[in-house]
Amino acid sequence: MTVRNRDDRARDPERAGRCVTDHCVTCSDEGIPMRVVSEEREGIATCEDQAGGRQHVQVDLVGPVRKGETLLVHAGTALLRLDVEGPP
Amino acid sequence: MKFVDEFRDPELGKHLSSEIRDIVEPGRRYKIMEVCGGHTHTIYKYGVDDLLPTNVELVHGPGCPVCVIPMGRVDDGIAVARQPGVIFTCFGDMMRVPGGDGTLLEAKAAGADVRMVYSPLDALRIARENPDRDVVFFAIGFETTAPSTALTVRRAVQERVPNFFCFCNHVTIVPPLRALLESPDLRLDGFIGPGHVSTVVGARPFEFIPADYGKPVVVSGFEPLDLLQSIYMVLRQLAEGRTEVENQYKRVVPYEGNPRALTVMADVFELRPHFEWRGLGFISHSGLKLSEKYAAIDAELRYEVPGVRVADPKACQCGEVLKGVIKPWECKVFGTACTPERPIGTCMVSSEGACAAYYNYGRFARDRAVV
Repeated sequence: MTVRNRDDRARDPERAGRCVTDHCVTCSDEGIPMRVVSEEREGIATCEDQAGGRQHVQVDLVGPVRKGETLLVHAGTALLRLDVEGPP
Repeated sequence: MKFVDEFRDPELGKHLSSEIRDIVEPGRRYKIMEVCGGHTHTIYKYGVDDLLPTNVELVHGPGCPVCVIPMGRVDDGIAVARQPGVIFTCFGDMMRVPGGDGTLLEAKAAGADVRMVYSPLDALRIARENPDRDVVFFAIGFETTAPSTALTVRRAVQERVPNFFCFCNHVTIVPPLRALLESPDLRLDGFIGPGHVSTVVGARPFEFIPADYGKPVVVSGFEPLDLLQSIYMVLRQLAEGRTEVENQYKRVVPYEGNPRALTVMADVFELRPHFEWRGLGFISHSGLKLSEKYAAIDAELRYEVPGVRVADPKACQCGEVLKGVIKPWECKVFGTACTPERPIGTCMVSSEGACAAYYNYGRFARDRAVV
């Protein structure tokens, strides 16, 4: 799976409205793998992408998650739990 | 990088390319549509089409959610954003999509409070932080994005956030595919099915394509080798006289999709009788709106929106591009009046759009394009 992480430039207000990364991770059809870094609380867990960017993610669709698990995340919601043994 | 390098291995790519050359009939022309904008992006970023025989043509489908939003809906969003006290939130690409009345970014410059968010959850957070303001989330996307909106809408109700509203423009993938298959000016031999839409809906909804239209479908991942393998699988079905739905992306896509996501969507959304698609016109039962149960947070009910259909600019040929009738570079304004910096058409706005993908990666295969 292509990992297209947003970076700090994406948060730069001067560039508002432009997805400066390779790819728009939110409005595209494509999810990104993120690792769970905090305990789930009320259906939300903090997850980290491969560039270290953190985000609150709704995990209701994949059930209880544990720290260290990898999820396929799209628009702030985990769509599925990725198999740690196999590539996403 | 693990999970990436193995799907970009040049040697494996050459091997797949060779297998594709071996399986095609020399005198036959093949047109395969990649439905998803993410696939279009990968194809032009990595030059996947350069690895194909000249008689295999990839046609770019309508699977970029930004590209299919009609200008009238953008104007509706701008009208809501201009309401006093409203904080209007949307994804980044959406801010630059031109409507008949400018863009959301221009509305922001003129004083509207328009903010970019990465998820509907961000919009809900803004609503919590601004209890005296209405916060409207401009929801777009296919079934990949719709569950995120649905969960957030439910969360807003459960957490009693009364100032969160949703302007729903979600669409579904099957009706436009059926419309394309019914289109008289498009002859397709097979489809590369959308990978992450299918994580939600599964591969089963695409069974009508082989059953009703006799065309193969292969649900594909997003790496270059995924796409090469999926193209090979489509061509192999054609060579063997089979037409069925195959799942190349089994490592991610369950054939039945995500039942929890489908349940949440069924609760929060209902189908509109019809919805306008840029370039494709009105398609029955192709758009989603909030269900009666969530009518209290439906921005279309809270605010008066113009609801006027706006014709695309005459110079813009996004419609033909979205239907695969012309290649992006054949549009009259491609790369001249219409660029990613100053887009006229939606296909140039989103990085998922076919025009932006062509423009950004400089792939002008004029000598081999067949229209």
